[in-house]
Amino acid sequence: MAELVGAFAASHGPLLVRAWDQIPAAQRTRLSAAYAELGRRIDAARPDVLVVVAPDHWANFFLDNMPAVCIGVGAENDGPPEAWMQAYPHKTLPGHPEFASHLVEQALKHGFEPSVSHRLKLDHGFCLPLWKMGLKKLPRIVPIVVNSIEPPFPTVQRCLDWGSQIRKAVQTFKKSLRVAVLGTGGLSHSIGEKTMGAIDEKLDQETIEHFSKSRASLIRFLEKKLPKAGNGTEEVRNWLLAHGAAGGRGFELVDYLSVPTVYVGCGYAAWRVTPA
Amino acid sequence: MSKMFFDLQDPALAAEFRASPEAVMARYPIDARVKKEILANNVPFVAARTNPYLLRYFFFTAGMKDDEFMRQLHDG
Repeated sequence: MAELVGAFAASHGPLLVRAWDQIPAAQRTRLSAAYAELGRRIDAARPDVLVVVAPDHWANFFLDNMPAVCIGVGAENDGPPEAWMQAYPHKTLPGHPEFASHLVEQALKHGFEPSVSHRLKLDHGFCLPLWKMGLKKLPRIVPIVVNSIEPPFPTVQRCLDWGSQIRKAVQTFKKSLRVAVLGTGGLSHSIGEKTMGAIDEKLDQETIEHFSKSRASLIRFLEKKLPKAGNGTEEVRNWLLAHGAAGGRGFELVDYLSVPTVYVGCGYAAWRVTPA
Repeated sequence: MSKMFFDLQDPALAAEFRASPEAVMARYPIDARVKKEILANNVPFVAARTNPYLLRYFFFTAGMKDDEFMRQLHDG
């Protein structure tokens, strides 16, 4: 039987690479430590498969085809297409078609209709955290794209339910397989809007607190706050999938820091995973 | 316009755009007024007509510094 061995979340942002040297030294140290700590925990969990949940930053999908959720079922996916990510060492990332297809089949059985792709380009949303974490061994990656870039977006409740679907897929996969989940993105930030550069630390702290409250409270809070927050904040959806997969229990906050140099409220979390 | 911004993520096309923006824009059904404002680096005008991430990618590709991009957004 497959086993859920961890659930994690980490922020991403292009300037964490492009402007790394411009980040104040003390913040660079904390960011490096947070990514490294998540990398250490993922290494320790020894996942065979890491389900990575991230948005597609216009790398694969355009307005003529914009899935709410797309699961990568291919044997491999392409590494990041962005020119400034070309130093990332993996030009391709191995997938796990059998588990990914099982995840799709289970989802369809339970009233979810994901899009599927046999080959995705995994942009910085997927690869930047993996890179910064310095994993000793890259697990097989099952990518899940959740649209938080171009409205309409899947609801907060649906994202939590998608997390539960990942959990069910692990529970029903008949082969021995260690599975972990990583949601990337958020917390508050604003890109290409009038408020670009603004980080809402109060919102981020409240968001973090609500992950330890009831499901209903978390849904109410985010449904109320997200429409008024910076557009990048919508990426917290990916944290919701990790939360749902982990059984809806609160996470341990590895670190949170507002990093104006990269325009992002950067959060790092590891869930208290209950056995799936 | 949004499709052009999406396509300009290709480095070769981006280089071509920087060398000859009019030639690249001519391949897309973009209104003359919109072309004019793109060439004028009018961020608020373009912002009202595309996705914020595509807007960001386009003006980054076009070589606009973040300070100027954000100033125009804030003031616009």
